[in-house]
Amino acid sequence: MKRLFKSLFLVSACAILALGVVGCGEKKEEKKAEAPAAAPAPAGPKTIVFASDATYPPMQYMNEQKEIVGFEVDVIKAAAEKGGFKAEFKNVAWDGIFGGLENGKYDAISSSVSITDERKLKMDFSEPIMAIEQMLVVGTKEKATDLAGLKGKSIGAQIGTTSYFVVKDVKGFKAVKTYDEVGLAMEDLVKGSIQAVVADSPVAVEYTTKKYADKIKIAGVLKSDKVENIGIAVKKGNKEVLDLVNKGLAAIKADGTFDKIKEQHKMK
Amino acid sequence: MSATSAPSTLPIVDIRHVSKSFGALKALNNVSMSMSLGEKVVIIGPSGSGKSTLLRSINKLETVDSGTIIVDGLDINAPATDINKLRMELGMVFQSFNLFPHKTVLENLTLAPMKLKGMSRAEADEMGLKLLDKVGIMEKAHVYPSKLSGGQQQRVAIARALAMSPKIMLFDEPTRALDPEMIGEVLDVMVTLAREGMTMAVVTHEMGFAREVADRVVFMDHGGIIEEGTPEHFFKSPEHDRTKLFLSQIL
Amino acid sequence: MSETRIIDVGEGAAIPSKTDWGLFNAWTISIVFAISTIFYLIVFEPAPYKRIILYLSDGVIITFEVTIISIICACIIGLITGLGRVSKNKAINLLASTYVEIIRGIPLLVQLFYIYYALGRLLNVHDLTAAVIAMSVCYGAYMGEVFRAGITAIDKGQSEAARSLGFNTKQTMFLVILPQAWRTILPPVGNEFIALLKDTSLVSILAVSDLLRRGREFSSETFLYFETFTMVALVYLVITLLLSKGVSLMEARLSHYVRH
Repeated sequence: MKRLFKSLFLVSACAILALGVVGCGEKKEEKKAEAPAAAPAPAGPKTIVFASDATYPPMQYMNEQKEIVGFEVDVIKAAAEKGGFKAEFKNVAWDGIFGGLENGKYDAISSSVSITDERKLKMDFSEPIMAIEQMLVVGTKEKATDLAGLKGKSIGAQIGTTSYFVVKDVKGFKAVKTYDEVGLAMEDLVKGSIQAVVADSPVAVEYTTKKYADKIKIAGVLKSDKVENIGIAVKKGNKEVLDLVNKGLAAIKADGTFDKIKEQHKMK
Repeated sequence: MSATSAPSTLPIVDIRHVSKSFGALKALNNVSMSMSLGEKVVIIGPSGSGKSTLLRSINKLETVDSGTIIVDGLDINAPATDINKLRMELGMVFQSFNLFPHKTVLENLTLAPMKLKGMSRAEADEMGLKLLDKVGIMEKAHVYPSKLSGGQQQRVAIARALAMSPKIMLFDEPTRALDPEMIGEVLDVMVTLAREGMTMAVVTHEMGFAREVADRVVFMDHGGIIEEGTPEHFFKSPEHDRTKLFLSQIL
Repeated sequence: MSETRIIDVGEGAAIPSKTDWGLFNAWTISIVFAISTIFYLIVFEPAPYKRIILYLSDGVIITFEVTIISIICACIIGLITGLGRVSKNKAINLLASTYVEIIRGIPLLVQLFYIYYALGRLLNVHDLTAAVIAMSVCYGAYMGEVFRAGITAIDKGQSEAARSLGFNTKQTMFLVILPQAWRTILPPVGNEFIALLKDTSLVSILAVSDLLRRGREFSSETFLYFETFTMVALVYLVITLLLSKGVSLMEARLSHYVRH
């Protein structure tokens, strides 16, 4: 019996090893095949790699085909066509997304980034894509319509977002919790662990009308005296990429493509 | 204490038709033996003869496969028997001492009386020191066992068993792990105990002890009792060939 | 077939140095380095660092709370599991073994998600509670194995001696076996404590405001990634070093007798 196990083990170990070697070999060949094709690339349009936190429906998210899709993705793809560059998307977790830009891991961030004065010190922004608002999402039975009505309760938002910044210094809450993804915050709200979530208006609308339509609702808009715009972030001084993106954005706004995309996604 | 004491006519230990196997090895094969109160029985035999197994089955450290063992009127294998209570009356001394290394010598003695008999610390300490005096190592009361020689440790182990005031003492090769110069001090304690009238079952190779102390010598081989009798009869005129062979090898 | 697992019970929680150079050892150097760096940064570079440490402070307390409560719960679960694993009762033994197999087969991160988000709809547990449950259940399984190894390492003669005096199995375990087993159990348990402390950083995914999450919150707002995570790392280092010192002090106190 023992001997049988031993030989079985040996055989399977050999098989795994062999597969591994073959696998590695194949990969190398692939790379070799790719290399010559990549060489003449500079002749074609420039490829710009955009980082997206694809957990942010309807702006950017993963579909079941594991592609990054969404409103902002469509906008960038259209802008790429008109601006004369090739857009590639990369899924990057939100709370490290700015660090990666600074370290040159990608050329730009397309992830519903709100243009703020603090962020402008660290990076450059394209022309605004559109304006958004901060919305307060609560359970369907909640009566409060503003932050003041939620004193003593727990409130959540995605880490490192303007949604979080607007509530983090407000006193009177039991806790202000930060989540890696806005979806996890919504999940906790549905579960009842927290009583409200602050989120960007498109996201708030998406969650309260589609996924959890029967469980949560929009309580109200957090009024601000400043208009909050979202845009594409690039590394400070990266004029080449910024110009291409701005050129594309301007073109689709001028010819009506942008409005068409908005309509397709039922954006206000 | 609460266990019913048997009338003096009944044996205090009565082993009837006991068998026990370890896998394919038949350690005990239909063994019967009894002891009366105050009797000192020395069990001898070659290693693997089943003598330790027999001794250990008396306090159920080994559970026999078949047969009955009656101790102080109670069937030790009966479900109704509280074996823990019964064991309090059966002191046991091991070949490897088995003192509790995390307790001092005195604590080794007082642990069981305090926890099992509800003795106060003061009472237990007093009794413990008396027993340590008896085995001749009172001065080591507050050291840890690892600081003692083998002979000293075994004397403490005897005192620890005595601390529960047992009716019967079981000795499982108590001198086997000792250096020769320490055997004497342990045997002296055992002889004293025997003179005081303690009921004792001793598995040993010390023939001098057997001759001096035993009321009865039992010779075992291959899981069975081959021959038994008084030391005089046993050592001078053994009947069985295997007994003769064993004695010729050991003496 | 009975499976045998080898648990390393020989290694201490604090790395023992071969030569005793007095204060010049790895632990002292590390703690002096960590604390003096923190103080230097706070005093001479207060602009980011004092702000960072103030922001992190309540996270430190949360991390500490989760660690201490989880350690206590994991020890209790581990003890019960260890006793179950050495139990002669087949059902209890099987139960304990199955628990260990299942828990050890699922990554802690997945367990955290599972307890908080997957089971969350059924039993709405507070985030801290979920964190403590997940840490305790996970480390309880690991510690169960350590306890089992420690208990089985005790010579059989010890339990025989105790039983022959009239102690029942429970008394034998608690009066004779476990007090001796602590000595062999403590070093690997100390290692588990430290691993647990470091793994509490995983609970930040449950939006628990622990040290790591506070660091992530601060850095994602201020973009002071280098400064923030330098501070987070130093604070973790100090807590870990203090815990490992505590464990080795406990070990020293327990080694007052030498096993024969």
